[in-house]
Amino acid sequence: MPGSEVSLGHTDGGPPEGTFRLHPLTPIALGGRVLGLLVAITLLGLAERGSSGGPRWPQVIVFGGLAVLVVVHGFITVAVTSYHLMGGELRIDNGLFQKQSKRIRLDRVQSVDVLEPLSARIFGLAEVKVTTAGSERAAVRLRYLALPEARSLRADLLGRSTGAGEGSPEAPERLLVTVPHGRLVGSVLLEMISWRLALLAIGPALAVVGQSNGHRATAGIGIAIFVWFAVLIVHAVWQRLNFLWEFTVTESPDGLRVRHGLLSTSRQTVPPGRIQAILIHQPMSWRPFGWVQVRMNVAGYGRRGSTKRATLIPVVDRDFAERLVGWVLGGVDLDEIPLTRPPRRAAVRAPLWWRAQEAGADDRVFVARHGLLSRTIDIVPHQRTQSLRIAAGPVQRVLGLASLHLDSTPGPVKTRAANRDAGEARSLLDRQVERGRAARRIAVPGGPVPAPQAT
Amino acid sequence: MDVPFAPPPGQAWTSVSPRLARMRRALVAASVIPLAAAALGLASASRLAGLITGIAAVLVLVWAWSAVGRNFRSWGYVERADDLMVTHGAMFKKLTVVPYGRMQLVDVKAGPIERAFGLVNVKLHTAAATTDAQVRGLSPADAGSLRDRLTALGEAHGAGL
Repeated sequence: MPGSEVSLGHTDGGPPEGTFRLHPLTPIALGGRVLGLLVAITLLGLAERGSSGGPRWPQVIVFGGLAVLVVVHGFITVAVTSYHLMGGELRIDNGLFQKQSKRIRLDRVQSVDVLEPLSARIFGLAEVKVTTAGSERAAVRLRYLALPEARSLRADLLGRSTGAGEGSPEAPERLLVTVPHGRLVGSVLLEMISWRLALLAIGPALAVVGQSNGHRATAGIGIAIFVWFAVLIVHAVWQRLNFLWEFTVTESPDGLRVRHGLLSTSRQTVPPGRIQAILIHQPMSWRPFGWVQVRMNVAGYGRRGSTKRATLIPVVDRDFAERLVGWVLGGVDLDEIPLTRPPRRAAVRAPLWWRAQEAGADDRVFVARHGLLSRTIDIVPHQRTQSLRIAAGPVQRVLGLASLHLDSTPGPVKTRAANRDAGEARSLLDRQVERGRAARRIAVPGGPVPAPQAT
Repeated sequence: MDVPFAPPPGQAWTSVSPRLARMRRALVAASVIPLAAAALGLASASRLAGLITGIAAVLVLVWAWSAVGRNFRSWGYVERADDLMVTHGAMFKKLTVVPYGRMQLVDVKAGPIERAFGLVNVKLHTAAATTDAQVRGLSPADAGSLRDRLTALGEAHGAGL
């Protein structure tokens, strides 16, 4: 095995400078569930007494062999991967036959996460995920390091990226908000209430029809469908709860920190000024409770699979959310921003909800609201707007309407002033262009005012 | 001219090469050939079927011909002091403003058919995937100089993310 001559040890203590390797237990953690399953099947094969009275050798050999292959692959991965920290740069070398070397300029880092999937957490290991602007694939994942090492690496990376210097200790943090368990469970269950629940009725309906017609197969299928949907719902609820459990947001000099997870935990850190756009969303079923959720666009989080990562707060009082968002954006009062509606004739294109399509701006941010039942506020700072668009389809042009879009990095926030009067859309665009130009000239640092505190 | 898609005051849209329309019309003509062949084939079997297919072929040709013209005339761009303004679309109209400081890269591309007609596309990328700013159908010389000017302006205005 080529990895056997290579030292797998990693340095202990001291400031992380120079060359490092992954933790020797990595292969087992990487194997995760698959490895666990393979080992379990092998053991079962060994324990079972077949017709001949001995262990089931074919089963043991096939699954045991696969398990060994998984571990060997993991060891090779560990042996050929090394990372190097030098000045303002992180370099990762890997690959056995095809060598690959990635360099990351730390001043371009958009977010640093410490993730502990269950299979790694058992062994006290953690993954460090460094996200830079660019595609999802531009993220660098260091799997796995010992947890203390992972945490000090994160602190060091963030220290270097924000210019605090090398070997920074972990910055002190201040609690902004934490989500109580009861509220999280309630909000996740309420969020499940939607038109999709009507699908649950399909199963029992089939069962009843089948039973009354004496058609037992139909009844059986109906019950099976019901059970299947129920399992899906329970699974979805469990996944959300497992991900969002003990959700905590803190503030520290190296950025906003988000911590959450029950079995698998994760700690994200977004350095100051890296939030590109932000939204406050209120599902219809949350309205009686005044709850909202806050999500954000961060460059490099991408669109796919990261909708969960884009969560800044899963559930919180609306009032607090607005204050927090205002603070994150550098002291913006959302209630102060005058909003306008589309003209009445927009009702042809957006029958009832045209009234909800409000938009407006102050000298810092552009704000757009939409949604009659579930409501959303999208906010994008002028300084972070990437490009601007006016679009009008055939129906809109007949009505003399046009929509203004503000492009941001990929993420949940898509800001637009829909169905404006055509002339107004253009003057909005011209004014936004002007505001963007002014904002890019004087870069406003994020959060000069004290952060709001949850009560 | 629709109000929101007018050029900025005191300026006019720079239009793209007429070869863009020529190329698309050639493609339209090429794709009508099978229909015309079918019309001829059917005419030998049944006069009426041949006539109907023939009329359909002519209608498609006329409609596509004028649609290509409308689309070609809708293209336009203006290089302003701080940003590039691009418009296109006949049915679904669009106008995009990309500040030079937000450009991540300028992409110059030409497919095999476009190359045969001497056409090049210039596309601007920002950190937003939704940015839809491209100028289609430029002559290679125009495309090259536009790219160079944009790159230089991007460096001068560079504002990071």
